[in-house]
Amino acid sequence: MVMKRFERDAVVTALIDALHEQGSWCGETHVQKAMFFLQEMAGTNLHFDFILYKHGPFSFDLRDELTAMRADLLLEIEVRKPGYGPSLRPTRNARAMVKRYRETVDRERPRIEFVAQHVGDRDVADLERLGTALYVARRKKPDASLETQAKEINRLKPHVSLQEARDAIRTVRKWQEMVPA
Amino acid sequence: MKTHHEIRDPIHTFILVDSDERKVIDSPPVQRLRHIHQLALTSLVYPGATHKRFEHSLGVMDLATRIFDTVTREENIQHESVRSIVRTGDQLRYWRRVLRIAALCHDIGHLPFSHAAEDELLPEGWDHERITASLISSSPMKEIWNGLEQPLRADDILKLAVGPKKAGVDFSEWEAILAEIIVGDAFGADRIDYLLRDSHHAGVAYGGFDHHRLIGTLRILPQAGGSSEPALGIEEGGLHSAEALLLARYFMYTQVYFHPVRRIYDQHLKDFLREWTDGAGLPTDMESHLSLTDHEVYSAILDAARNPHQPGHEPARRIVERDHFKEVYRRTRSDIERNPEAAELIVEALTTEFGAESIRSDSYRGRGGATDFPVVMPNGRIISSIDQSDVLKTVPPVAVDYVFALPERREEITDWLTTHREKIIPPVGNEEASTWS
Repeated sequence: MVMKRFERDAVVTALIDALHEQGSWCGETHVQKAMFFLQEMAGTNLHFDFILYKHGPFSFDLRDELTAMRADLLLEIEVRKPGYGPSLRPTRNARAMVKRYRETVDRERPRIEFVAQHVGDRDVADLERLGTALYVARRKKPDASLETQAKEINRLKPHVSLQEARDAIRTVRKWQEMVPA
Repeated sequence: MKTHHEIRDPIHTFILVDSDERKVIDSPPVQRLRHIHQLALTSLVYPGATHKRFEHSLGVMDLATRIFDTVTREENIQHESVRSIVRTGDQLRYWRRVLRIAALCHDIGHLPFSHAAEDELLPEGWDHERITASLISSSPMKEIWNGLEQPLRADDILKLAVGPKKAGVDFSEWEAILAEIIVGDAFGADRIDYLLRDSHHAGVAYGGFDHHRLIGTLRILPQAGGSSEPALGIEEGGLHSAEALLLARYFMYTQVYFHPVRRIYDQHLKDFLREWTDGAGLPTDMESHLSLTDHEVYSAILDAARNPHQPGHEPARRIVERDHFKEVYRRTRSDIERNPEAAELIVEALTTEFGAESIRSDSYRGRGGATDFPVVMPNGRIISSIDQSDVLKTVPPVAVDYVFALPERREEITDWLTTHREKIIPPVGNEEASTWS
């Protein structure tokens, strides 16, 4: 069943809060990649369409939704460290939405926590490699060998070396075996 | 024989095209844009805003070329990760031509009155970008691409014209940068041209900014904060012109594009089109698309407004006689702080109380990301724009919620809303207190 907009925002808020708890920078790129893992690997479907674009899997729908959440005073941006991009921080109203849609958020909580625990402490470069690895493994070359998948990552993102791509595929395969039901 | 041609333009003074590009300009899809208003019925509010997508498309081609020439100039490429993706020699010349043609064609799929009818009058899954893509890939246009002195691949033009969001295929880093030059959120030539052109014609000075300085300082840069993936950014010296662009965008959205009267005319136009097409919506096949412009639709509006027996008479009459629904509510920050669903609750309450036929509503949330792009400082360090600019930190996303009512019931509805407003919008977390939810 398709969630209502604010119900979906409650799940997005819960994910951002969980990422913060794991020490994530929580810039837009961190949230984008975490959401891709939540949908593609953990199976929570919020109907954000992802394509391979900025720093790996990227959803224009999610980008628009995050902007809409800022417009509706559910998210704020904050600068935490000179030189770095901004972080996204849920507001008091966003947390009220989480309470309002508690049933939905509680249902998705194990998957949210799983994703936050695994990607929460990763930087943008890590997330780009891992997100692209998952994208390739699921959508581009699902039945291919590790080496073929790594070559595809290197072709799509030339600044990711072949060895980095192999490592990313191995990590993603390991995570896939641990996803909560 | 003359191989280069100058076209006068109120924004860019002269736009230069060569004979190959003239063939594209003279094609039916591009010529049709002479008959599609850039801003739909906005001229009913801002009488000067009668310009068309044709001159905008020429302007985007001109600006995109200037951005391309700036960011690919050898002395403007300082990072190895950027140098490795920027093409050289014949490849660079090929992509420059693709970029110009894609910019020229990026709007050929627009429906009559541009965006006004797009959301509700096309079949599921269709939008103007998809029609643009179909036209670019059509046989007549492929004949043009193949007949150019240096033939172009339709797929390359399509990618840059509609961008990664709509193309439905993967983009290389180089293609992503080129698409960003045309349709990018922050510095896309499309956006730069429409802000300058729309503000000029509407007579709204807010839309102006120093685009010469802006373009002169654009660079392809690695991102601040980790990834070496390149993006369109700016030298620190151009940051104020970038701030001015983003403020211009904010002001134009709030003052012109989302002017409440303009928005309600869009709704009357949609109502008319729905009835005029007997609920079928607008066509997506190429022949019908190319033969339908603002002129055919406006002629039908005038006919229907004069004849009560014509389909669409009522909305047509509202447009022609300027008897539009009147605003009874618009969102305020305090309402949204109280409850982000304030507007929805008000629409629900008013519809229950006064009937759906008396109420219209309109809602929009800003799209695109935070205004975060790489900035290269004089010492070569790359930082986030948000870190360097207090202005960019504080420009809010555009958001509007309007509720409109039948003109003859406006006073009654406004009074009722004043009395019941507090009860309709309970504080978030206390929704059970709302009588109407």
